[in-house]
Amino acid sequence: MKNIFILLIFSTLLIYSCSESSSSISDNVDNAITDDNDDNNNTNSWLIDKDLVFDGGPGKDGIPALDNPTLITQAENDYLSDEDLVIGLKFGDQVVAFPHKILDWHEIINTDIDNLSLAIIYCPLTGTAVGWDRNFNNTKTTFGVSGLLYKNNIIPYDRATDSNWSQLKLQCVNGKLIGENPIIIVLPEMKWGLWRKLYKQTKLVSTKTGHQRNYNNYPYGDYKTDNQYFIFPIDPLKNNISAKERVHAIIYNNQAKIYRFNDFGNGKIITDTFQNKEYIIIGNQDFIVSFEINDKTSNLEFTYNFKDTEIILSDNEGNNWNLFGEAISGPRKGTFLETAKTSMMGYYFSMESFYPNLLIYN
Amino acid sequence: MSKFYILVMLGVFIDYSLYSQTCCSGGIPLSNSIGLPSANKGTLQFGISYDYNNLNTLQSGNDVLDDDARLRTTQSFLFNTGYTITNNLSVELLLTYVNQTRKITQFGNVNIDETNGVGDGVLLLKYNFNQLFDKNNTLRVGLGAKIPIGATDKKSKQGILLNADLQPGSGAWDIIFWSSYLQNFSFRPSASFSVTTIYRHTGTNNKYLNNLTTYRFGPEFQAFINYTDQFFLFKTLINPSLSFKYRKAKQDEIGGSLLDNTGGEWLMLIPGIDIRITTKLNFQTKFEIPVYSYVDGTQLTPTYRITTGLFYTIDKQKNDFLNLK
Repeated sequence: MKNIFILLIFSTLLIYSCSESSSSISDNVDNAITDDNDDNNNTNSWLIDKDLVFDGGPGKDGIPALDNPTLITQAENDYLSDEDLVIGLKFGDQVVAFPHKILDWHEIINTDIDNLSLAIIYCPLTGTAVGWDRNFNNTKTTFGVSGLLYKNNIIPYDRATDSNWSQLKLQCVNGKLIGENPIIIVLPEMKWGLWRKLYKQTKLVSTKTGHQRNYNNYPYGDYKTDNQYFIFPIDPLKNNISAKERVHAIIYNNQAKIYRFNDFGNGKIITDTFQNKEYIIIGNQDFIVSFEINDKTSNLEFTYNFKDTEIILSDNEGNNWNLFGEAISGPRKGTFLETAKTSMMGYYFSMESFYPNLLIYN
Repeated sequence: MSKFYILVMLGVFIDYSLYSQTCCSGGIPLSNSIGLPSANKGTLQFGISYDYNNLNTLQSGNDVLDDDARLRTTQSFLFNTGYTITNNLSVELLLTYVNQTRKITQFGNVNIDETNGVGDGVLLLKYNFNQLFDKNNTLRVGLGAKIPIGATDKKSKQGILLNADLQPGSGAWDIIFWSSYLQNFSFRPSASFSVTTIYRHTGTNNKYLNNLTTYRFGPEFQAFINYTDQFFLFKTLINPSLSFKYRKAKQDEIGGSLLDNTGGEWLMLIPGIDIRITTKLNFQTKFEIPVYSYVDGTQLTPTYRITTGLFYTIDKQKNDFLNLK
């Protein structure tokens, strides 16, 4: 009798374990990883090599994106030092810094500033950050972290359709919106010390994100500086440039061209042609930004004019332009230069991985 | 000569402990589950156990973070068998079947990924030094291998290759150094005290991520200090026990680089009970909870673990009922 009782307990535990292991269902079908064969949703089709898409470890939403995080003033900042990198946004009178220290832990920030619905998509492994308009086909969405990576680069998913996107391919690569391209909002990157000097009114993302993290700890050890350390494998690099060197890339028509900090010395303008388009690239040792020259601006002669104020460029008409290509004084005040369609900062290796025929400005 | 050998082996363990490290595949209890008790020559032992490991505590260094969105569970079915070749020499085999689950509850959604399959196995050769210093103590040492029979290419339902932590197998051979010292007491023959150390020198999976890179789980050291006693309850022999487990795991390596947010050290408290159902059949269960833990970076760390199982012994000679364990 006693033996039967104990065997019964053991059997019950085994049955419980089996029932647990078979509960592979999602409470929210729309957001679950499913084996949906519905071709209309393109859940089985990928525009990138699926064999190079890997599970990053934390799982879908295991790295929690932030939705409209609390912003604080400079005076309230208690965690950023002047050397920390931030992604900057100026929209109308609103100026916001999105620190790498926050993005390293959350990767995506969905934010609404006035009538701008923006997702900051950041990948700590490729060091790339870009803004995406969150409106697609008249539907406003938010983005989350899928937990998948392609060539070390983040694959965000949009919560409206559960489609997967590639940040550096600039495209939806799987799901209902497959083939769609996001509307890019180029965001400059620089150190917090300089950003706050240029934009004293800036706000920044608070560490009170609703998720307890140690924001003063970089989560990837010496990944930023170790040129041999990759979480996922890469092909051998063709050029003699350090893998983790931060470069500025202009990406257009599935091609990319990069500009390095040492191209700019203490500050200058580079005029360059790429993919039959003319660009001015403005940089120094602290930032690099680029603008496309079009019919409206082809008659302007720009000069580098950065003196630790918001102005980075002046021209022969007497206009002064800021980091965002906005004329902040002069006859064209309030107008904007055309931002390079897609440009962003990132680790050198990521640009070569995604764009094998990468051009390097010399 | 034998004592010299023993001192050398202990020295090896002490040395290795300085470098010791990580858990395999999110907590498949391979090292925990080896070391069947001593038995007479010709004895055959079988065991079947179920192990549930719950990792729901997000920790940064020593600090527990207020975030339970991620749950990792590992359920393992463990099949042990051992044969005592001589009164001093025995061999043991451990086979596993594993379910690994990752559940994220975030933003009102639940996302689950899981794998099932045969896990890695362990083959261990053990040698007993009976009555080492006097009649009340025994030292056993063992050398074994973890055999990579578990799959390492499991994919999610989306068809995406899952990472090493979720795979049933590790894809690498490990070397296992095992030792156990048992001390009985003249003043209380039913009680015993034991110290067990296990060092697993991990190998490298050279075919990780579709042969694109390598992965190595961090080497791991474990030490158990255990006290057990015996008493009769309703004419049944009961062995309650209390153990402390210290585990230290080095960081994993990917492509030859140390992988952040892996490795750490843990101190666990393990109360357990062993019930002698018949002279041949034992029921065991134990519960493991963390007392102290330090993790590298930010990691999910064990919240609790339950192990329960049945062990069957076929002894050619007459059993000694007391202190077989």
